[in-house]
Amino acid sequence: MSADFTISKGLDLPIVGAPGTTIRSVSTRGTVSVFPSEFKKLKFKCLVEEGDTVSRGAKLARRKDVPEFFVCSPVAGTVKAIHLGDRRSLKEIVIAPDGSDNSEEFQSFTVEGILRAKAENVMAVLLESGMWGVIRQRPFNRIADPAAKPKSIFVNGMATAPFRPDAHVLAQGKGDEIQLALKALTLFTDGPVHVNLSSAAKEVSDPLTEASHVQINYFDGPHPSGNTSTHIHHLDPIIPGDTVWTLRVSDLIKIGELLLTGRLPNQQRMVLAGEGFKEEARGYVDVDTGMSLADVLGNSLRDGAQRIIRGDLLAGEAVDPADTGVYFYDEGFVALPEDTERHFLGWYAPTKTQYSAHKVVPSNWLKDKLFSFGTNLRGGHRAMVLTGIYDPYVTLDIMVDPLIRACLAGETEDAIAMGILESEPEDYALCTFICPSKTDFGKPIAETLDLIEQEGF
Amino acid sequence: MKDFKKLIEEKHDEIRPQFEEGGKLEKLYPLFEAQDTFAFTPPDTTKGMTHVRDAVDLKRVMFTVVIALIPCLLWGIFNAGHQYYHYSGIEAGLFATLFRGMLIVMPIVLTSYIVGGIWEVTFAIVRKHEINEGFLVTGLLFPLTLPPTIALWQVAVGISFGVVVGKEVFGGTGFNILNPALTARAYLFFAHAKDMTGEIWAAAKDGATGATPLGLGASFGGEGLDVKAALADRGHTFWSMFGGLEAGSIGETSVIPILLGAGILIVAGIGSWRIMVGGCVGLAFTAILMNFMPTQGLEAGKMVQFTTWTQIPFLYHFVMGSFLFGIVFMATDPVSAAATNVGKWIYGALIGVVTVLVRITNPGFPEGVMLAILFMNVMAPIIDYYVVQGHIKNRNANLRKFSYAKG
Repeated sequence: MSADFTISKGLDLPIVGAPGTTIRSVSTRGTVSVFPSEFKKLKFKCLVEEGDTVSRGAKLARRKDVPEFFVCSPVAGTVKAIHLGDRRSLKEIVIAPDGSDNSEEFQSFTVEGILRAKAENVMAVLLESGMWGVIRQRPFNRIADPAAKPKSIFVNGMATAPFRPDAHVLAQGKGDEIQLALKALTLFTDGPVHVNLSSAAKEVSDPLTEASHVQINYFDGPHPSGNTSTHIHHLDPIIPGDTVWTLRVSDLIKIGELLLTGRLPNQQRMVLAGEGFKEEARGYVDVDTGMSLADVLGNSLRDGAQRIIRGDLLAGEAVDPADTGVYFYDEGFVALPEDTERHFLGWYAPTKTQYSAHKVVPSNWLKDKLFSFGTNLRGGHRAMVLTGIYDPYVTLDIMVDPLIRACLAGETEDAIAMGILESEPEDYALCTFICPSKTDFGKPIAETLDLIEQEGF
Repeated sequence: MKDFKKLIEEKHDEIRPQFEEGGKLEKLYPLFEAQDTFAFTPPDTTKGMTHVRDAVDLKRVMFTVVIALIPCLLWGIFNAGHQYYHYSGIEAGLFATLFRGMLIVMPIVLTSYIVGGIWEVTFAIVRKHEINEGFLVTGLLFPLTLPPTIALWQVAVGISFGVVVGKEVFGGTGFNILNPALTARAYLFFAHAKDMTGEIWAAAKDGATGATPLGLGASFGGEGLDVKAALADRGHTFWSMFGGLEAGSIGETSVIPILLGAGILIVAGIGSWRIMVGGCVGLAFTAILMNFMPTQGLEAGKMVQFTTWTQIPFLYHFVMGSFLFGIVFMATDPVSAAATNVGKWIYGALIGVVTVLVRITNPGFPEGVMLAILFMNVMAPIIDYYVVQGHIKNRNANLRKFSYAKG
């Protein structure tokens, strides 16, 4: 079965710095870290002490509220340090690899046999190895509740935000892993497993387009046609009370490797892109999970101050490369030049070098041109004035103006009625981008979703 | 040019510490910020999850509205000079007309900007927020709605009322319920009615009353005459009112510069075309409906002639008075208008409807568009409320369809 959708709303940023399709490999030169803090808002109890010897796949920490869920070590070695973050939360466990191949062996499955396996057994492997963390649940985009039965499962194979990795590059050579993981997912739901791909991939034949036992859907159109919320909205919208699970292709690959080999995967493929990278460095890298981000970046950055962003430009998190490593959940990093340059009379000068989605700025009339973007706000914060300009950038059946007002006023019931549960902060990133008053839509939406999650509905 | 730019930048950096926290003039920071960001774009960088931003900012948006108003201002200057010489009975050349017009109009505009600006800055300093560029628009819109014969002290009082009561008491730009420029005009209209309407060029030469066509029309009795002919008698044909070389408020008399401004607003994507089109449809519809009103009937057992003002052709409603100016520049103020797209249609259409109703049924107020817009400003949140409720209903119906389809 398959379905086609054409999304007409949205915007593809004409931005320079897109990645090539080359794949290189970087290995760790020092310690490897595990970051329980990457699972935001969750509390963990540490199970090891400094100096303990651990094997690959050994349990390092346990979730306090879901005792079956663990965080495990990607390498064999010695626990070198345990760092605590705010309020003594477990931030980072540093492991010095000993170069040995000691590994925990989890139960393994075959591509043919997995459909006959019991869902509980597969789930137990995912929970014990910490791999469960890649399966997320909507609404609220948190780690899936193993006790819940999702009405359907969505796999995102076409992220459109700049610069999310191309799922088809990630999938190269991972046919068995992907097929195994997809079949495993069908065990967890009575509904369909949707694999959502870009219509540009229709002619391609690779592990994603040829996947079996799942429903493959094609989406055409500008960003956010590749956002998971868009896919859910068009295929099986969330009604308050519903639960759906979501994954990305990189998550499928990790699940597939674990179930196929019985060992915790210790490598992952990421994208490095953005104008802040040297041109030859923009592309894909295979890295060791948990390695220092500074090692990954090496000398691939261009001169000048660069902001390193985990995730994408529209909904990412600025990080300090010296202070973090490759998270289990990472798919890529963007380097964006810091831009604090002041332009003389720039508020009305007819700029040709700064992109705008608004016709009032002359650069908008230049077609087929790629623009440089920096971190500059390009204006000052003001009260919101223009109305109705945000709706063309949100693909869901949501009126943005009333919703954001309800969020700012803390009216959670109104926000739910207007459809906030269908969405995530990333779905409003383009509204933030185009807002002439420089309003940040992400924050009020995220805060309202948190509030609803706490209060229940 | 480069050296000039550098010089300004250095001067700014030199005086900046005095305005920053701990400086001598710390309290005046909003004033410095306004000047500083006028000269140079701010160096601020993005925070939060979205790391890149569009090149547009509110300064550019607001200033584009000012640019859209400039044709009306220029026409207003010319027309004011023309009216002055016309009613003084003096023949004058183009240059003299323009010069005289400048002498009449510029003091009004400057008074509005200076007095309103002082209020704006005062509130920005007290509230410790940036000076909002919306004032650039209010400060020019307001004088364009005034007759050129207005006294400057009245301009000052009016803009003070508009900025303070129309906007700042609600919390400043973005929070106001009424359009501040219209609030200012409404205040003058009710407080100084005789200076605002009717025979504004009373220093007349023989035979000219200086009345605006709308003022004239409202004074027509029930004598059963043909409105078109009666207006033409007094020198007002459709095309003369379209061209606008006539008495009236500074910015509204001619249709041509207003259409030019509307074009700029629509092409730039700033003014809502939904409101403009909705308003025109509402006006035409109601005006045509009015044409079917009976012109005579029984009253206390006697056949009497009613007012013929209802019989005015609908196209005349567009060119008489300030309807077009109001619907293009005032009704589209996004803060006081309806915020939803469906709401904008309804809001615009009702402005058209109410304008005709006030014009025709209430001879006390010859111009209805100001009252219509203010009235609909107040109603806009209610319109939005029902549009949103309707949307939620549709949404839920669609979601339910989905779950039925899946069984």
